[in-house]
Amino acid sequence: MKWCLSLLLCCFLAAVNALSSSGSRLLVVLDESTEKSAYSTLWSDLEGRGYDLSFESPKSDSLSLFEHGERAYDHLLILPPKSKGLGPNLTPKNVLDFLDKDGNIILALSGKSSTSSAISSLLLEVDIHLSNDRSAVVVDHFNYDTVSATEKHDVLLLNRPGPLRPDVKSLFDGEGVLALPRVAPQTLGNTSPLISPVLRAPETAYAYNPKEEIPAADDIEATGSQLNIVSALQSRNSARLTILGSVEALEDKWFSATVKTPGGKKTTTANREFAKQLTAWTFKETGVLKVGKIEHHLATNGEVSVDDLNPKIYRIKNETFFSIEMSEYAYDKWVPFEVPAGDELQLEFTMLSPFHRLALQPTGKTETSTVFSAQFVTPDQHGIFSFRVNYKRPFLTNIEEKHEVTVRHFAHDEYPRSWAISGGWVWIAGLWSVIGGFLAFVVVWLYSAPVADKLKKTQ
Amino acid sequence: MPAKRHAASTTSAATPSTPTPLSSGPTTLKTNASPAEIAVHVWHQYTATTSQRTLLLDAFMVFLVLVGGLQFLYCVLAGNYPFNAFLSGFSAAVGQFVLTASLRMQTSDSGSTAAKSNPKGKTASTEDSEQGTGISHERAFADFIFGSLILHFFCINFIN
Repeated sequence: MKWCLSLLLCCFLAAVNALSSSGSRLLVVLDESTEKSAYSTLWSDLEGRGYDLSFESPKSDSLSLFEHGERAYDHLLILPPKSKGLGPNLTPKNVLDFLDKDGNIILALSGKSSTSSAISSLLLEVDIHLSNDRSAVVVDHFNYDTVSATEKHDVLLLNRPGPLRPDVKSLFDGEGVLALPRVAPQTLGNTSPLISPVLRAPETAYAYNPKEEIPAADDIEATGSQLNIVSALQSRNSARLTILGSVEALEDKWFSATVKTPGGKKTTTANREFAKQLTAWTFKETGVLKVGKIEHHLATNGEVSVDDLNPKIYRIKNETFFSIEMSEYAYDKWVPFEVPAGDELQLEFTMLSPFHRLALQPTGKTETSTVFSAQFVTPDQHGIFSFRVNYKRPFLTNIEEKHEVTVRHFAHDEYPRSWAISGGWVWIAGLWSVIGGFLAFVVVWLYSAPVADKLKKTQ
Repeated sequence: MPAKRHAASTTSAATPSTPTPLSSGPTTLKTNASPAEIAVHVWHQYTATTSQRTLLLDAFMVFLVLVGGLQFLYCVLAGNYPFNAFLSGFSAAVGQFVLTASLRMQTSDSGSTAAKSNPKGKTASTEDSEQGTGISHERAFADFIFGSLILHFFCINFIN
């Protein structure tokens, strides 16, 4: 029986291992099932990575993101509907509730038709803005595909995006050229720290509404790299929302299209690889961090016994050792997490405000995790402190660890003795010279007593 | 100080520096003596008229002032860490000084009364000296030792 159970568990684990770190139920919201065949490579890729795909029309009555108050799906992929809006079951509130419950969403837009106001208001909730008339298309007269868009210049050819900042891990880079036909541009608000661009339009790009005959130069809101082609939101609960400006880029046609930049040579697109990276990130196959064992104890040279591990109480000025184990999920397995160059994993020792903020150095590595550690002296301040690791970076799930400990003051017998402090030697010598002087005085006094009496008597 | 002068007149016969030893007492200063002369005179008077025990007390007190002063100076110059060591070292000197001063008051006071009583009763016994403060030298000395031991006990404990 036990053997059977463990075998079952093994099978189950194996099945889990091949999946995203947060579940495999993927709902694809498609307008018509006829459209479905245009993305068959994407579907087969996703199924190959272990997702259970269900397809629903936004109009369908059976479509519901929740079941008994819980998420009915783990991930959501919304393709732009041809009709107006996403229907009564995908209101902005529903979608945001889904995000709040740790569901991940890819929302694809298209510049072919104008985007519905429901999607626009959904994006406004997360501080991502579409153009005013919601039907703008990005064109670029320098980076267009000469094969398919000789006239309109609305198929952008771009390199794969590098890291967002030098100190951020690059999850979407690679070789090859991306073809992005008819992109609906987004601009990001300045205030939200949760949104970040994945792929920006080149500097020579601009957006205009193709339905108007002449692009009005005076009401341009954003140009060049202010326009985002792909942008991402990672909310505080680490749920992810990705906005892809060009749904056509996911089509089979563009997965293996041959394109040619003006003045360049013919190449095949890297859309398929990019789509994999994008879906993998959004559905939490990459950029997912996990904290393993957290240990802290007094710094010692030798081994630490179990009793001395993670004590509840420290003393001020104790030499303390802290270590944390971190893993990163890479498609189907946990691998040791490596901090990008220029970035630091930091440990804070805080009581209200940090008394220490130290860089955690990688000191060890297991098969699935890196051990980061730091050694420091607890501050000269008693109270309730906590070890905190607060690591929030773009494209990586948020890490916030807090472990409370008490820091007590010296016990009365733990202070250094006076003679151990060389500065006190003078006063010790002073005290003992007073005592020695007193003894000498007593002796001389007693010795001199009869003499004084005799003197008095001899008068 | 007339009483002391009288008392000293008996013991100061051997003082070499006294220019004109008088039977009634030591030299008297002229009215227009210079400050240096006054100082020298006071010093001579002091050495000539003070009993040996009082001299001993005074020497000990000077020693305590020096020790205490040095400790305080060190504290000012080098900082007061460890503060308890400074407190106990310094207060030992101060406390010992106070106790010694008390002993001096009790013993030298009785000396003057003894001197006073000398011309009257002609007996310099300890019973005589008790008339002054009501405390004998032995009693005063025992109190001094008791107080000092308590002081030392506290100071040694406090200096850790």
